[in-house]
Parts: sequence; structure tokens; C-alpha cells
Amino acid sequence: MTGNQKSKVIILGIETSCDETSAAVLANGEDLRSHVISSQISTHQKYGGVVPEIASREHSMHFRPVVQQALDEAKVTFQDLSAIAVTYGPGLVGSLLVGVSGAKAMAYASKIPLIGINHLEAHIYANFIQHKDLQFPLLALLVSGGHTHLILFEGHGKYEVLGYTRDDAAGEALDKVARTLGLGYPGGPQIQRVSQEGNAQAFKFPRAMLEADSLDFSFSGMKSAVLNTLNSARMRGEVLSVPDIAASFQEAVVDVLVRKTLMAIKRTGVKTLLLAGGVAANKLLRETLEMSLVKLGIRLVYPEPIYCTDNGAMIATAGYYHYLVGDFAPWTLNAVPGLSFPRLNN
Amino acid sequence: MKYLTIDTTTKVTALALAEGGQLVSEGFLHTSKTHSERIIPMLDQLLSAADWSLQDLEMIGVVRGPGSFTGIRIGIATAQGLAQVLNLPLVAVVSLDALAWAGKGRTEDIVPILDARKNEWYTARYHWRSGAERADCLTPPQAMATEQWLDYLRGLNCSICFVGDAAGKAKERIEEVLGERAVILPDYISLPRGAYAAQAVWERWKEIGEGELVEPYYIRFSEAEVNWAKKEEARRNGKDE
Ligand SMILES: [Zn+2]
Repeated sequence: MTGNQKSKVIILGIETSCDETSAAVLANGEDLRSHVISSQISTHQKYGGVVPEIASREHSMHFRPVVQQALDEAKVTFQDLSAIAVTYGPGLVGSLLVGVSGAKAMAYASKIPLIGINHLEAHIYANFIQHKDLQFPLLALLVSGGHTHLILFEGHGKYEVLGYTRDDAAGEALDKVARTLGLGYPGGPQIQRVSQEGNAQAFKFPRAMLEADSLDFSFSGMKSAVLNTLNSARMRGEVLSVPDIAASFQEAVVDVLVRKTLMAIKRTGVKTLLLAGGVAANKLLRETLEMSLVKLGIRLVYPEPIYCTDNGAMIATAGYYHYLVGDFAPWTLNAVPGLSFPRLNN
Repeated sequence: MKYLTIDTTTKVTALALAEGGQLVSEGFLHTSKTHSERIIPMLDQLLSAADWSLQDLEMIGVVRGPGSFTGIRIGIATAQGLAQVLNLPLVAVVSLDALAWAGKGRTEDIVPILDARKNEWYTARYHWRSGAERADCLTPPQAMATEQWLDYLRGLNCSICFVGDAAGKAKERIEEVLGERAVILPDYISLPRGAYAAQAVWERWKEIGEGELVEPYYIRFSEAEVNWAKKEEARRNGKDE
């Protein structure tokens, strides 16, 4: 690496909040030099979901080699880095601590700043990896296994949470229904897969809209409606079509997400919607949004599927914007498993 | 040879800087704060107090368990992170081996006991022969039900010196079972110390003479794995019938 590399801003991003150990090297906020993801999905599959202690053990084994591979593929060393960004919450505490401890030691030994990243914020920043032309204000719909948020994004570091789920997250509801239907883990992609052969009109599941002016979500009642339908069918000795149930439930979830999003767009007047989080990879959600937004002249932006999962590239991207304003973490940085969405400068 | 040791396997954050087996500087914090908050600031203080820089370090030693699962991982991630950047060899020792140094020079058997929850201890048994460079390990590390272990120790015909974070709490029960044959050292000797890890790491370094691949030493499987294995066994037995 040549000397002038140092004048560039090179960020190492590290993510260990759940079941992916990931690291990425990003130059100047736009040049993704490397991106390594070590997924544990197959390890957790037999347990039907992520087991926190096993996840932590896996991170502990994979952390060092994943970081080394990211540096090697980017052809950089620690001496070339400007800062190290790491997820410090929300997530599984034991998993977060592996990344936070390792990142801290690396930054301290490299004598470069440490940047603590909120995982939710990073999911939104995943959109900046491939779209360099985004203009504020932006509206973000963050949908994942742990979160369902509508966020007004007025500038880097300036957020307002407009609505969030009061019970289950959208992805969580999909996971639970998938498990009940015997579709396995992770549930979202499985529901999407079997729904292709199902009739989405077969069952009319309720759409929980809450108060007329609320941008909050509630998915637990919708999930219960599916379970009730299955139970009463079982008692009558009927066998219901799994694809029909999956398709109808998926449609109900997407319907609520889209309706609330349209309400938020009307209220804020933004011209661009960012999709973020694991459920952002859902095809029905993307297509339904696209159809409604095109009529309104609103641009829909979403990350490639690889950047919808938990990944180091989005951490490095968020880290880059924190770096530009000198927002660094102290050496006492701790994991914050219940970290909420930042309401900075608000 | 200058080196750093890290022990975060219990609630104590214990760091040491040492040179050729000689302790130079030691950090000991037993407060309610987490390892994650304390470890790098403590390292920074120790280095500047010793007038060392990171570049002076030639090796890093870490205590890899058994103990708190989370603590083990914090210690190893920190040691690995430092070693990776500084390009230093890494050496690992077992927490119970390190604690055996708390009883150096004593004639009793040394039994470290670490709180393993669920009425169990992580434990082992050592003996210091006079003039020996390291303790002999008489019973290898294991997770053991407390009463079962005390019962076993009662059957031995010797005096026993207890160390470790569970020793103080179990004092009464130990004395009840072993009577005068038990010696329980006070916390300031018997909790993990940077000094003990510094000795154990130096012995390890003399033994292998190069860095090693460091992995956590949990002794126990995670609960989910144990339950899964039980279910699988039940399923298999059901099939056989
Ligand atoms: Zn996520």
C-alpha cells in the first residue's frame, strides 16, 4: 500500500450482533474494497432459531479470521485504516461483546479512533452503499426480525422515529408463523417461497391499523389470527393448505406495512423511500411498494439482498459518516443489547 | 521478554505486564463495572505507569477458561485483537492452572474452585513439590457438583488449600466437611490476579517457545446443545424399542 492511501478515509466495519460474523473495508465511503460474511444459519437451524450462547461461541471462533480476510482481500493492513467501526447494539449481548472487545483492542493497538454503531441506523445506511445520489429528507421503512420502524431521516445523524411496532416485529411474526407451519428457520424466506404456490385471497386475516392517525404497527394480533385459524381447523379435522395460509399472511403483513408507509409519505412529503432490514428482501413488499409509489412519483430505494442481511459493509458505511463529523467512541464503550434508535440532534 | 497477560474469566479484571516471568505492573479491579468498560483503560494506565509502549510488548498471554463464558470471550477477543495488530505471538493458559500459583510454596494440595452456577464449581487439584517450577496437576479441570467434589476431597488423606472466587462463599460448608484439613485463603490472595497469570503464561511460553492458536476453554457445552443431545438420545432410544 502506498503512502497516499493514508489521505483516504478507510474504515473497517465489524458486525457481530446476531448470527453473522462480518467485516468489510470501505474507502472514502464509496469504494467497498472487501466484504466477508460468515453466517451461522446452518448451526442454528436444528434449534429452530438463534441460540444466544452458541452464537457467541461461533463469533468467538470466526471473528479473528473474518477480520483478517477482509483486510487481506482489501489489500490493506491495520496501518492503512482511518478508524474501526463496530456494532454495539441492539443485539445479543454476548455476540455484541465479541465484536466490541475485538474492535476496541484493534483500534487501540492501531492508535486510530473507535466508532460505535447503532445496528438499526446501519441497516438504513445499507442503502448508501450502492446509491450515492440520495437527497435528504428521506423516509426509511426498517423491517427486520427485531424491528419495524418508520423513520424520517433529515440529514446524517438527524432522525425522527415516526412509528414503530408495539409488539412483534414484522420479521418476528413471519418467523413465528413459519415455525407453526413447519417451514423452518429463518421464516421470512420460507414464507415467501411457499407463498408462490398459494392463494393470497384464500384467508382474510385482519389488518391491525391501530388509531386512525397512528404510524405504529402491531403484528401480534395478526399472528394470533393465523394460529387460531390453524387450531380450529385441526379441531374440525380439516387440513388447510400451507401455501394458502402463508400467502394470505404474507399479504396481510405487507398490506399493513405499505398502508402505514403511504400515510407517512403523505404526512412528511418526502420524495424518496428507503427500505431496510432483513424483510426488505421480501419480493412482495418491494413490488407492492413499487406499484403504489410509482403512481405518486416517489422513488423507492432498497439495498441488494446481501446488504439487507446483517453485514459489515453497512457498519463501515455508517462508520464513514460518523468519522466525517468526528463522532468517536471512548475506550469504555460497552455493548448495549437494548439500544434504541438514535434521536440525535433532535 | 516483555509481555501482557489478560484474565477476565471471573468478575475480576486482572491484567499484568511482566518481563521474563518477573511482574512489572499489575491491574486488579473487582467492582460492578464490566470487563468491556475496564479492560482497555486499565491496559492504557498500566502501560503508561510502567513507561512501556505497546511496541515494547513481545508476547500476549490470555487466560482461556474455564469461568464466565462471556468473560472468556472478552479476554480472548481483546488478546487476539491486540496480537493481530501488533503481530505478536499469543499464548493461552487455563484459569485453574493460573490460580494454582496463589498457593505457591504451600505444602497442602491446592484446589481452585470457581463459581460455575447450578451448584457446580470449575475445579482441579494441584500440588507444589518443593523446589518445583510449576505445580503438578493431580486432578484435571472439570465442572463438578460442589457436594460431590467435597465428598471426593474428604476421601483423600491430605490437607487442602482452597483458592478461587467460590472459596470465600463456600467457607462454612468446606469447613463443615473437611474440618481442620481445610485452609481457605483470603480473597486478596485467592481471587485471580495478574501476577498468577503472568507466572502461568511464562511457564507456558518456556514450554512451547512460540505462539499458539487460542480457543476458549468452556468445559461445558451450552445448555441448548445439552438439551438437544438429550432429546436426540430419547428419540434414538424410542426407535430402538
Ligand atoms: Zn439486523
